[in-house]
Amino acid sequence: MTFQIDSGIDLAGQEVGAVNSADTVAKSDKVNRDDRKTVGEINHPDPRMTCRDVNVWYGDKHAIIDVNLDIGKNEVIAMIGPSGCGKSTFLRCLNRMNDTIDGCRVTGEMMMDGNNIYGKGMDVVLLRAQVGMVFQKPNPFPKSIFENVAYGPRIHGLAANKTDIEEIVVTSLQRAGLWDEVKDYLEEPGTGLSGGQQQRLCIARAIAVNPEVVLMDEPCSALDPIATAKIEELIDELREHYTIAIVTHSMQQAARVSQRTAYFHLGDLIEVGSTDQVFTNPKHQLTEDYITGRFG
Amino acid sequence: MGLPKYTTDIVRAGLEKRYKREAHFRRLGVAAIVAGLIFLSILFVSIIGNGYTAFWQTFIQLEVHLDASEIDPEGTREQNVLAAANYGGLVKQSLRDMFPEVESRRDKRKLYSTVSSGASYMLEDYVKANPEQIGNTIQFWVPADDDIDMLMKGHFDRDKPESERRIKDDQIAWVDKLVAEGRVESRFNTIFFTAGDSRDPELAGIWGAATGSFLTLIVTLLLAFPLGVATAVYLEEFAPQNKWTDLIEVNINNLAAVPSIVFGLLGLAVFINFIGMPRSAPLVGGLVLTLMTLPTIIIASRAALKSVPPSIREAALGVGASKMQMVFHHVLPLAMPGMLTGTIIGMAQALGESAPLLMIGMVAFIVDVPGGVMDPSTVLPVQIYLWADSPERAFVERTSGAIMVLLAFLITMNALAVFLRKKFERRW
Repeated sequence: MTFQIDSGIDLAGQEVGAVNSADTVAKSDKVNRDDRKTVGEINHPDPRMTCRDVNVWYGDKHAIIDVNLDIGKNEVIAMIGPSGCGKSTFLRCLNRMNDTIDGCRVTGEMMMDGNNIYGKGMDVVLLRAQVGMVFQKPNPFPKSIFENVAYGPRIHGLAANKTDIEEIVVTSLQRAGLWDEVKDYLEEPGTGLSGGQQQRLCIARAIAVNPEVVLMDEPCSALDPIATAKIEELIDELREHYTIAIVTHSMQQAARVSQRTAYFHLGDLIEVGSTDQVFTNPKHQLTEDYITGRFG
Repeated sequence: MGLPKYTTDIVRAGLEKRYKREAHFRRLGVAAIVAGLIFLSILFVSIIGNGYTAFWQTFIQLEVHLDASEIDPEGTREQNVLAAANYGGLVKQSLRDMFPEVESRRDKRKLYSTVSSGASYMLEDYVKANPEQIGNTIQFWVPADDDIDMLMKGHFDRDKPESERRIKDDQIAWVDKLVAEGRVESRFNTIFFTAGDSRDPELAGIWGAATGSFLTLIVTLLLAFPLGVATAVYLEEFAPQNKWTDLIEVNINNLAAVPSIVFGLLGLAVFINFIGMPRSAPLVGGLVLTLMTLPTIIIASRAALKSVPPSIREAALGVGASKMQMVFHHVLPLAMPGMLTGTIIGMAQALGESAPLLMIGMVAFIVDVPGGVMDPSTVLPVQIYLWADSPERAFVERTSGAIMVLLAFLITMNALAVFLRKKFERRW
């Protein structure tokens, strides 16, 4: 082994795993481990979340390696990269959805409002009320459209009475751009909507809790181009109220909706920068290879 | 030697053989189903053929003079006075009046035995309910003795020599005379459905056993369903995946395969001998059947929980539901149909179970209908076993009759399971 393993790896077994994965990387990409330091500006002048030295393991597999990244207020940050590069894993760390996966271990610091979200005092329920999530596959509850949106506010006790709940539901559906389509069918099951509508329902459900950050994990990958266009438009509008981190496979989508872009490659954060700069003038060879379609 | 020119040639060459095999396989499948249906219909035909007569019972009309000097000489009409009267004597008197030619003590005893020994109790009940009839002569229907009932139902061969028959020539003559007078009638056998067990087949019913079964199942359901569901939810949703939970899982699967009589032995040792609970009680029966059905319910419930898509769990967690809220608001409602189905199938198993209950004394001869879970009682399958063991010819049809009732319960429960599954099944 010729290259150096980064610090922050404390167990021998994981070290071996990391070496192996890095080994295959080196063979397939001909890029030395040392050449995969993050380039670009990871800091944001007005950060909402600050991630430092984040490492994630799935059992022995080192999925995220020493990632440092700020997520700014009211910005849309896109995370791109080839399959298995860790961008979804990183996103799911931001509201600790990875807690549900057996054998997943996270080290490092992810700060939000001065608290480490992986710190001892952090309450997961509280965190997820602040950091909402929209998933790859639309997953409305098998309940009515109204109940889907009302569920979050109800369990968190955000509404004192029925009128409040109704107001939240209406506002959320309006913000999600779904209100005009479903206002007469609020008691119909959410699962009966079309795929694009279901995804917007899920967005309405996420923003009904009034989170500060909304995480979106490939929200359009199961949708047709028209539904995708609607969601992209919606993301742009939501930026006014929320910070949005979106993982996407579509570079066009990243270019259209985001202000900043982060490129991940096999667990490393390779490049961060303004979306314009990353797509027009990438600084790192790997980024350039990816956005010009040489692999991915 | 050349290869065929086209792939289709090769495929076509093998096609006939493939279709032949497929047809052969289908024939085998149909044959298996037909064989199954034949056996099932043989079972049903033999049970129903043997058992349907149990729902009818021969009754004999007696002309009873309710002699006031016998029943209530002082005319007080008090219940305890009425209860003390000799009704058996009145029934016998009425039979003697109808057949004055019978004189010897032996013949008289034979005459008395043509009506059920329960006749006097029925007369007593009647008089207590209708005291104004005292002093009158009434026409009173009483059940015939089981032998006479069998004679009327054609289960006796009259042509056999008298010494080989339970019913003698003069008894046959009396019955024939009663039939000619229109005093014999076949009626719906309400006793069979309302009475407890009895040594006299014409007085024996399944109500005691059915009540026992019901109480036992209630205890089983109340214990096994919450315990089973809670266990399944904990193991599936909350427990960490480690060697302990693996061990527990393996053991639950093993418990499902333990012969049921072993649970009976356990119940005898723990609940009766160690804890000191009463023998023959539905409470103990329910506890034993709980142990027996728990693995079934746990396994079915875990399967139901596993079938809930993970996306629903993520959705709930994603809006900030706690783990318990996720389970109770989203996962459990979706898993409930599967859990209910598993529970009802477990209950049906428990309803049909007899072996473990034999070990805890529910096989005793119990006449009274149990009033609670601590009263001695028996259950339907054990009642069937007891009757099948009895020598009287009339118990043969009652055995089959009880089997029909048990099967009806089982079919109802399974139909309920199917109905619940269809009703609560949700798409996502």
